[in-house]
Amino acid sequence: MKLDNVFKKTRLPKRRSVLSADGAKPEVPEGLVRKCNMCKGAIIAEDVRDGLYICPKCGGYFRIHAYRRIEMIADEGTFEEWDKSLATKNPLRFRGYEEKLAALQEKTGLSEAVVTGKARIEGADVVLGVCDGRFLMASMGEVVGEKITRAVERATRERLPLIIFTCSGGARMQEGIVSLMQMAKTSAALKRHSDAGLLYITVLTDPTTGGVTASFAMLGDVILAEPKALIGFAGPRVIGQTIGQKLPKGFQRAEFLLDHGFIDGIVERPQMKETLSRLLQLHRDGQKEPEAAEDQPDRMPAGQSGPGQSRTAEDQSDQTPAGQSQAEQRHRKAQTANAWGRVLASRKKGRPVGKDYIEALFTDFTEMHGDRFFADDQAIIGGIARFHNMPVTVIAQAKGSDTKENIQRNFGMPSPDGYRKSLRLMKQAEKFHRPVICFVDTPGAFCGIEAEERGQGEAIARNIYEMSALKVPILSIVIGEGGSGGALAMATADEVWMLENSIYSILSPEGFASILWKDSGKAQEAAEVMRLTAEDLYRQGIVEQVLPEPDNYTVENLEAVTDVLEEQMEKFLARYGDMDGEQLAQHRYDRFRNM
Amino acid sequence: MIKKVLIANRGEIAVRIIRACREMGIETVAVYSQADREALHTKLADEAICIGPPPSAESYLSMERIISATVITQADAIHPGFGFLSENSKFAELCQQCNITFIGPDAQVIARLGNKQEARNTMVSAGVPVIPGSKEAIYDAQTGAQIAREIGYPVIIKAALGGGGKGMRVAETEEEFEQSFQMAQKETQMAFGDNTMYIEHYVQHPRHIEFQILADQYGNIVHLGERDCSIQRNHQKMIEESPSIALSEELRQEMGQTAVRAARAAGYVNAGTIEFLLENSGKYYFMEMNTRIQVEHPVTEWVTGIDLIKEQIRIASGKKLSYKQEDVHLTGHAIECRINAENPSQNFRPSPGTITDMYLPGGKGIRIDSAIYSGYTIPPYYDSMAAKLIVWAKNRGEAVRKMQSALGEVIIEGIDTNVDYQYEILNHPDYLSGNIDVEFIENMHQQLEQGQMA
Repeated sequence: MKLDNVFKKTRLPKRRSVLSADGAKPEVPEGLVRKCNMCKGAIIAEDVRDGLYICPKCGGYFRIHAYRRIEMIADEGTFEEWDKSLATKNPLRFRGYEEKLAALQEKTGLSEAVVTGKARIEGADVVLGVCDGRFLMASMGEVVGEKITRAVERATRERLPLIIFTCSGGARMQEGIVSLMQMAKTSAALKRHSDAGLLYITVLTDPTTGGVTASFAMLGDVILAEPKALIGFAGPRVIGQTIGQKLPKGFQRAEFLLDHGFIDGIVERPQMKETLSRLLQLHRDGQKEPEAAEDQPDRMPAGQSGPGQSRTAEDQSDQTPAGQSQAEQRHRKAQTANAWGRVLASRKKGRPVGKDYIEALFTDFTEMHGDRFFADDQAIIGGIARFHNMPVTVIAQAKGSDTKENIQRNFGMPSPDGYRKSLRLMKQAEKFHRPVICFVDTPGAFCGIEAEERGQGEAIARNIYEMSALKVPILSIVIGEGGSGGALAMATADEVWMLENSIYSILSPEGFASILWKDSGKAQEAAEVMRLTAEDLYRQGIVEQVLPEPDNYTVENLEAVTDVLEEQMEKFLARYGDMDGEQLAQHRYDRFRNM
Repeated sequence: MIKKVLIANRGEIAVRIIRACREMGIETVAVYSQADREALHTKLADEAICIGPPPSAESYLSMERIISATVITQADAIHPGFGFLSENSKFAELCQQCNITFIGPDAQVIARLGNKQEARNTMVSAGVPVIPGSKEAIYDAQTGAQIAREIGYPVIIKAALGGGGKGMRVAETEEEFEQSFQMAQKETQMAFGDNTMYIEHYVQHPRHIEFQILADQYGNIVHLGERDCSIQRNHQKMIEESPSIALSEELRQEMGQTAVRAARAAGYVNAGTIEFLLENSGKYYFMEMNTRIQVEHPVTEWVTGIDLIKEQIRIASGKKLSYKQEDVHLTGHAIECRINAENPSQNFRPSPGTITDMYLPGGKGIRIDSAIYSGYTIPPYYDSMAAKLIVWAKNRGEAVRKMQSALGEVIIEGIDTNVDYQYEILNHPDYLSGNIDVEFIENMHQQLEQGQMA
């Protein structure tokens, strides 16, 4: 049965005016509903406001006005705005520019495209700069550059950390070359802020492009981004037209940048404040005068180690008893395991890997990604964490816990990008006076075409070179395989420790056998002659400590190792925490000079 | 006065509202999903607007789309029907902001009554009886026993995080209490990893009795008697009738006045329903207030002679109630059976599909509210209710016989329905004698199983 046009419609009693008696017509008041420009759905504005400006339908992120952003980030009522009235001039006397600015000022209530000032985040003082895309797409003209520069300078003067939320179409065309100069002006101010040892975090929001990307956006010690934010130098449309190609999906989005090593992480809006606060705390505590560290009462203030104190004597007095008992243990166990047995044990499936140690020994671990050149190598995990409440930089060569993760992490074989990431994090540790703890576990640096193209040798050399004189303590712990230069690039340290069944060698036994005897099948014999076990290396003075392992060592009995490790690390930090940068560099120099 | 109503619903209730509007000379706008192009409400209304794809979330639950449709068609009011957005306070508020009359109570009232705790508090302060229970969490049997004594046995011990009957135990007497409490708490610990308990008076073999009220914008509130909705399966009502044979005239008046008091305390305007649990002893307890028209409203319409949908529209237009409590009388007896597209022998699995042929009964005292027709395809996306069969006669016995007769005539081909199942209920001795409570269906199933085994 078809029912089209069969029913009689409502017959109206008489002709009526369209309007109701009171003239009230149904209409959606301005601003009640808005359209999501990502999923195109109509959404109720209130839901968007209450939901951190995230589309309730597609989860896409809307751009946020500067003051709303500050509300979301700063502790209530703590924001104090700076340079609010700084007015834009018209350097090129560009026609219509002043009228346009006046109209935007009227419409947005902003004087320019950036809001700067001081606020507190979970109690921590911080200088904030927030770009507002409503104002000429937050392009950087003289005033934007000036406000940011003033904020940076004041942060430097007041020794405050700085956070800038970027969003920009790039340079302000109407201001010509003056706009270009803002890139240099802001960057120069940031260099001074950084040289003063202060923390700068950028949060890249959609879109961050052009001259802003090529200046203050990419200069953060920590660079975060919002999901799917467009970030690039040249805009995708321009690139597409220039090269005449269709750009890949996700090109220049935050996720693309993360893969390519340019940002430390992507942070969802609901977690932004907490993340920033954690980073501020980790850096604030790191910069505390050591006297203030109540948890280390027996430690001497940094740089004030007694002149008459002998490091070697101290080392010996600290180590000898432990060394003796370990020697006994080693002797006992040496009976039961030959070198090849240890090689197998060091590679054994189920043996704890880097991230297991990070989890067991540290709190507040905040992973940082990327080398800022080309990629984020997943064969190396690095970040900031707390050890006994003290901020430290932790870097681990990362094997996977299963095959899937092993493929993702390239079986713990780092690419040049991984070494460059680790070096970047070590340099940051140096800037913020954090000790560096490295976990070494690699069959060797990745052997492949791309690795050579990007300079595997150079990357390893650079790490060794820079680590040799890094001005903070470095401890390296070989937890599994210490494969050649790939291991040394993370073990040019003040002390190197090894787990009982770990190995450390010039080459894998297979490689050794194949080079010397042209037969990789003789790996077992090679292992015996190579002197690659922890015990051998301890005897040779290559490593300072050997840590006993339980039988059948897995994550289940990880504590047996980490309990000892924790105690020894505490002692290590006490030993080296007292030394200043020069002393540390000298100590490391001497350590390798004698080998 | 409202001139054009958009019906934000589908199925038989949309048809019911369109008919009421048409009789009142009010133009109608239907909204429909892509799955409802051929639905009766779409065809019957003066105008119809497609508001999205089949899933409710993207059509009948999409506030923005429904508001847009209202603005485009310049309808001055929205009737939400039941289900979907009918008890969504945010939607009611949106309507208000957009200068659209929401045919129902105020957004704040919906919000207040939709919040269980707030509703309960409102009722307690208005002197409406609620199920007595512990106010604080209980962790040990001793404290529990003391509170159980205050509440009065039997009591039910419940897990604070409960659900699905886990961690629930009834204690009939004080002697039983300690063991029941400990068992319930142990179960709770196992199921939810928590041992927080609550104790409530256990309402034994209750009937579901609900009172219809109407309230205008001027503080006039009347009740239109009760509906007995005890025949329900998994809290889904199947058969409703008015009046209930369990209520004496005195009790009816008392409960009716309580219902009016409850509505007044909530600041209620428009049609609403106060649900009670009624014990054999005559004690009754407030459960919740429904802030919408209900599926079973026709039985009340028939015994009172009042058209509830038209009253809703009049009240929303700012009209006063044209009668007082003493003008409302319950005459005769009405019964409603819900006819669902489902298969009772397969655990009531929904049975969408095309109706190839159908014949529905008629005659004196028979009313059918439905949205199905021969050739109509019931889509799988929505509720399975296909029709409501309502009968009226001058007393319950005659009404039951009329319903039996009418159910016996229903022919719906092409899909499975629960008509035969309903027919069995109508012939069940306990139903015939009116000896029913909310456990009726469960008991009937047990009897059937035992009968089959014997």
